[in-house]
Amino acid sequence: MKERAVYKRILYFSIILAFFGAALFVVLTGDTYSREETKTHDGKPEDRLIIAHADIFGRLERPGVLFDHGLHVEASEKESCDTCHPGTDDGNLIFAFPFRLMDRNREHVMDGFHKKCIGCHNRMTEAKKKAGPVRCGECHAEEKHSLRTVYPRVDFDFTTHEKHVRSLQKRCILCHHSYNEELVYEEGTEQSCYYCHDAQEQRGPSLAEETKLTLAKGLSIRNVSHARCVNCHLDRAKEGAKAGPVACAQCHTGRYRTIEELSKVSRPDRDQPETHLIHSENGRMKGVQFDHAFHEKNTPHCRCCHHETLRACRECHGPKGSSKGAWISAAHAYHDIFSGYSCAGCHNARKADTQCAGCHHHLTGLDMQKKGQQREYCGVCHSGKREVPVQTGMRALSELTPEKVPEKVTVNVLEKEYEPAVFPHLRIIRKLAAISNESKMASYFHQDVRTLCRGCHHRSDAGAEAARNKPPYCRNCHSVTFDPKDMNRPRLLAVYHRQCMACHEKMKIRAVGCEDCHKAKKTGPDDIF
Amino acid sequence: MGISRRNFLIRSAALAGAAVVGSITKVRAGQTPDSRGEGYGVLIDTTFCNGCRKCEWACNEWNKNPNQPIKAYENKSVFETYRRTHAHTFTVVNRFINPLNAEPVYVKKQCMHCQDPACVSACFVEAFTKTGRGAVIYNPDVCVGCRYCMIACPFDIPAYEYHEPVSPGVTKCTLCYDRIRRDGGLPACVEVCPTETLRFGPRKELIAVAHERIRNNLKKYVDYVYGEHEVGGTSWLYLSAVPFEEIGLRQDLGTRPIPDTGKGFMFMVKVLEIVAAWPLVFAAFHAIARLRKKNADTRVSADDKNAEEHDRKS
Repeated sequence: MKERAVYKRILYFSIILAFFGAALFVVLTGDTYSREETKTHDGKPEDRLIIAHADIFGRLERPGVLFDHGLHVEASEKESCDTCHPGTDDGNLIFAFPFRLMDRNREHVMDGFHKKCIGCHNRMTEAKKKAGPVRCGECHAEEKHSLRTVYPRVDFDFTTHEKHVRSLQKRCILCHHSYNEELVYEEGTEQSCYYCHDAQEQRGPSLAEETKLTLAKGLSIRNVSHARCVNCHLDRAKEGAKAGPVACAQCHTGRYRTIEELSKVSRPDRDQPETHLIHSENGRMKGVQFDHAFHEKNTPHCRCCHHETLRACRECHGPKGSSKGAWISAAHAYHDIFSGYSCAGCHNARKADTQCAGCHHHLTGLDMQKKGQQREYCGVCHSGKREVPVQTGMRALSELTPEKVPEKVTVNVLEKEYEPAVFPHLRIIRKLAAISNESKMASYFHQDVRTLCRGCHHRSDAGAEAARNKPPYCRNCHSVTFDPKDMNRPRLLAVYHRQCMACHEKMKIRAVGCEDCHKAKKTGPDDIF
Repeated sequence: MGISRRNFLIRSAALAGAAVVGSITKVRAGQTPDSRGEGYGVLIDTTFCNGCRKCEWACNEWNKNPNQPIKAYENKSVFETYRRTHAHTFTVVNRFINPLNAEPVYVKKQCMHCQDPACVSACFVEAFTKTGRGAVIYNPDVCVGCRYCMIACPFDIPAYEYHEPVSPGVTKCTLCYDRIRRDGGLPACVEVCPTETLRFGPRKELIAVAHERIRNNLKKYVDYVYGEHEVGGTSWLYLSAVPFEEIGLRQDLGTRPIPDTGKGFMFMVKVLEIVAAWPLVFAAFHAIARLRKKNADTRVSADDKNAEEHDRKS
């Protein structure tokens, strides 16, 4: 009897334990799943923003406040902006709100908001005017806790720049400055604001002093452009001159001009050369003729290439590299195929375009380090000539006669299962030539029609090819069965499918089904095993 | 007591002996094939696959699974749901979306043929064998249908013939062991693949090839060969241009072979069986004997009590 009682007790105990366990599980997981996903601010261009400052407060005790800036501007129309935004001695406004936001102290910032907002709302109520809320939950509304306000980045492009140059009568000093223990302006040294004020980018040693200072003082590109631009716009409006916008959504439009639109405006004049011969005194290679004016028209910003300064590349990237240029030598600065700033990198990125990717997707980028590089490729850029070549499309297109180049190629590796596939060889070359001639860049690099052959007839032996005056066939290298000696060399069946289908997919040519190329045979293929 | 002390001792010794022999054979069965070379494997380069599903067709055809005409495999609507292997489907191709360029990525799924397979160690009747050629094969004749292999497999591969009422078995890819056991033989899926996404060869060579491809195609691939180290290495290897989690290949499996996790414990159990079994058995017998004696005593005393009562009444 006694044992039974013990068992019973154990049973009860375990049931209670299980219950507690389950309760704990529900509490723990419930907490994890109760958090809602964040929704982005889907409103139309409105002057609204979420005040949350998670960077100062860490985890928020109460939901952030949806602040309608536009409404406040309307309400305080008779008063000036300095009701909320304090001004400095020189009459400029500081757009941080409240002012004590700058010292990034939890208590100070919280008190600052509460005193400023609630104080003003109380004063309005006393004056019997329409006033905002004063109770906690009315601002820190639970239902708005998942809202986020995201304003698109403002792109101060060449059109906007041109507009400012014209209306400010070339007074560059109004925006541009450089730093030498104090802000100074020297004509002809104007640079992009981003070089010093963009904390997102890692800058080199030449800008160390400036970036350290801007970081310490909180002079991010966001803060300085708000301070500079909005203050200037407000001042001009006060003077009665034609002024730019002040409301958020008027600058933060989210619309960006394309290269084509930008190419119509005139470029900022900073005595940059029209064309330039890039060469070094004792260089092994001939100089490269560089059409600066043409490249200006094909990039949205100067800083697309001039990533730290508007000076010449060679000033930081010498022939051997130096600490100034992060030890990247001139050769690498121009040839790195994965850099966004180098010639080769930018050109390489263009190969991903739909029109180009068909051939280029499988051709590896021109790697300067590779042994046995064919000199003819280098010579395309390293011509040593100073004058800009006049492009007249691809040379020797007339060579493409059916006698020299097969018009159609019949592929029958799968003849057991399918009818032979007929490959319109000549038609495809003509089409590729036409595509190449449309683009200035493509026609510059594909001057010889034989370059196009490389799209499919890759890795050929130049000597053997010259002797036969013909690119090699696929089957010269790719055997019908699996190649046991070279595990990386695919068999003939595979190379046709890889090459043809990948090209069709990259160039968005829809024919990628089996029977788009080879018709099914009447008798079934089901008995190959 | 129907068993003499002598007989009991003899039988106990026989049992312990059987346990020792059993543990030795178990260790031999769970051995990695490293001592016999790494065997063969297949390298899957997911960047070449175009989702034609010919491998599924060829697999069904060769393994005599219910099949459809080859034309039916061109139907792309099956990619809308994530599929897994089933009793009569040893391999499936799934479609994932590359988060970088929103292009489809096709990934074939089948038994990975681990170098030190969890299913082999989980099976207590040794229905699974890791062959020297690399294939993990299954013997339906000894299988008792416990399905421990299905729980042990980290890749969720073995399937069970639930529809089979009389003799259900476990099914999975065999690496076409019946084809590859001959020199020059290839698995059916590798043979049929039109883009050579699949490449069959010695596992060591395939790993070298995979690393060579990563080196020669800068920034094309994720610098990792899936299966080289996963759960102690697998015979099937994957190359990918997108992170492996994005294409349904678990990265949290670790590099330790699954059987290793239980090996130490199982060994401890065996040691305990041999070392601690004797005292335990004797203690049990002692306890039983004492209990019996006590019961006999209480019965006697109870009888005495009854007798006394009887005397008093009478």
